[in-house]
Amino acid sequence: MSSPQPKSRADGLLQFADELRRQERAPEAPSPSSMLHLVTFALDREEFGIPIEQVREVIRVGDITRVPQARSHVRGVTNLRGRILAVVEIRTRMGLTPAEITPRSRVVVVGAHDRVLGILVDAVTQVVKVPAESVAPAPEEILSPGTDYITGVARWNSRLIVLLDLEKVLLLPD
Amino acid sequence: MDGDENAFSELIQDYIVESLPLAEQVGDAFIELERRWREGDAGDDLLAPVKGRLHTVKGNSAMMGLPPMQTVAHALEDVCALLDAEPALRHDEAAALLISGSGLLIDLIRTAAEGPDSKAATQFAKRVRAFLSGGRARKVASKRPGLLLERRRSERRSPEVGPEAADSSASVVRVDFRRLDTMLEVLGEGMIEQEAVAELYRKLARKVRASDELADLDRALLALRKTLKRLEGILMETRLLPISSVFGRFPRLVRDLAQAEKKSVRVVTSGGEIPLDKAVLDRIGEPLIHLLTNAVVHGIETPEERARSHKPAEGTIDLRAASESGRAVIRLSDDGRGLDGARILAKAKALGIEADAEDPEQLHSLIFLPGFSTAEAVSPLAGRGVGLDVVAQTIRELGGTIEVDSRPGRGVSFTINLPLTLAILRSLIVEVDRERYAVPISHIAATVRVEPDSIHQVNQKGVALWRGDLIHVSDAGALLGTGATANGSRRFYVVIGLGQRKRGILVDRLIGHQDIVVKSLDATVGRPDVVSGTTILGDGRVACILDAVRILDQRVSA
Repeated sequence: MSSPQPKSRADGLLQFADELRRQERAPEAPSPSSMLHLVTFALDREEFGIPIEQVREVIRVGDITRVPQARSHVRGVTNLRGRILAVVEIRTRMGLTPAEITPRSRVVVVGAHDRVLGILVDAVTQVVKVPAESVAPAPEEILSPGTDYITGVARWNSRLIVLLDLEKVLLLPD
Repeated sequence: MDGDENAFSELIQDYIVESLPLAEQVGDAFIELERRWREGDAGDDLLAPVKGRLHTVKGNSAMMGLPPMQTVAHALEDVCALLDAEPALRHDEAAALLISGSGLLIDLIRTAAEGPDSKAATQFAKRVRAFLSGGRARKVASKRPGLLLERRRSERRSPEVGPEAADSSASVVRVDFRRLDTMLEVLGEGMIEQEAVAELYRKLARKVRASDELADLDRALLALRKTLKRLEGILMETRLLPISSVFGRFPRLVRDLAQAEKKSVRVVTSGGEIPLDKAVLDRIGEPLIHLLTNAVVHGIETPEERARSHKPAEGTIDLRAASESGRAVIRLSDDGRGLDGARILAKAKALGIEADAEDPEQLHSLIFLPGFSTAEAVSPLAGRGVGLDVVAQTIRELGGTIEVDSRPGRGVSFTINLPLTLAILRSLIVEVDRERYAVPISHIAATVRVEPDSIHQVNQKGVALWRGDLIHVSDAGALLGTGATANGSRRFYVVIGLGQRKRGILVDRLIGHQDIVVKSLDATVGRPDVVSGTTILGDGRVACILDAVRILDQRVSA
């Protein structure tokens, strides 16, 4: 709502350039149309981001109960205020070693596939807004057949944030 | 604005709750009329109440401003009026028109909240007009224009409307079922908290010297528990609904299906008054539809085939509910060709499952295994990609069992045994390799302390002599994949059993009895064989509930 309608094509371009400059100075500046609002978390040394609209809350890791014969990549279930929350081990889903629970570990509660699920992450880094323009498709070389859940890479404040398609990440193999 | 929205959607819900059963009754009556007319019976006794119901539905629809339903109900009324006057028209064509109209009406009402499809209603009205003018245009059709509301009140209260209306006195309130769910959930939490306090009391009682206060606390806790149990009983009762609410839609479904399959099948239901928890009812429809579909598509033969084996051309599916010792039993039997034992045997061989051709009971029970669909050509109707294993799974999740009995040429009969309620289960909590599990008391025959040399190895399987019988005893750690090796830590075994089948499960500790609130397992977790659900224990941790039925079924041993 903040930017008025551009009067001509040139005006529009100028305005766009202004906006880019503004964003570089103040990355958190609100501009809903072109900003991606992400929750970012760490797995090993990499940083990943998922759209904030899909995140319900972030909780500390409580007791996680193992479920016999559960699918691979399911860490177990936990008690979320009287509801049973399935916790997905996103690390092994992405080919990493199982998580070690530390004080920084968190469960990101997400809504996906009409369900509410938890994702166990090493740490939640922060909530950021990145300009949509800063997202580039992931380089072909790093994509293997099993990694179609990577939708792109955002370059932001000299950080690289790998953007995930939650729906695809949570389609667990049997 | 929001409030208005809510009020409106509530009104729509009321409308559905009130009109749907009426429309379904109308639909059932039309199906029955079709049968009767074929047999040469005029069916006057059925036609009269139908008209009353249609009129009520029409009135309700007009009140809610739902013209499509109004149109269809009105058109059906017109057809009935004509048939009243012209008994000669009572034949298949009229029946088909009535049945498709009532089907449309049911669908429209069911989807009332989403905005009904007026096009289908207009089309149907056109069909009716054609029928009416064809049926020697008498002036029946154009008799009633407006004034739909005048008799609404009185009709709504008339006894024919159904059991709910019969006692519609001022002391009856309508409650959104979700509220009852929430109440039960809150009660469940209260019961868990009570257990937690009781646990604290037990710890305290071990530490401090006995005193009057301590004894009072014990008594108070016991009283609290009793009160909560009473509340649970009352709440459970309010959640019960007659099973007819599920059976209601079956006659039409079977009729449509049979027609598509070029077969003639009727459904006879009984025991519709048996009450079941709504949570069970909500989930039992799907498996029953699956079984009905199987019966129509695979079980019941074509009329020609039936004639050859001296059966009546019309197949019968008998669906009856009964209540037996605190559980509901639903039996669904058809008089079709029965299961094909040879085919099951062949399929078992192909899947590498050992099957005993001499033991039909065991052979037939194989159809509940995953990937075991014996129908070679999967029909588009019966197909839907799910097998009987999903039916069995759903029933297990409800804490029930399903058995099959088949006689070649005589038909198949499925017996489903369900708990009347399922939300709260008295269970024994056990510990295995530091993991806790709940075992429903209803499936426990005994708990036994392991004595030296009481468990023998036969063919590398544990066997124990229990009450004069040799039973298989397996290790819970191996069964549940705890990943730890039991170094003589198993001090007890729990004998689980249903009927004749028994099996012992070795565990480390028996923690105690607890009322648990069953919470289902998210499908993301998978479909474990050995676990039927989860629950939250007094300390807030989640424990899995052992699926005793499934474990008994497992021939694989640990």
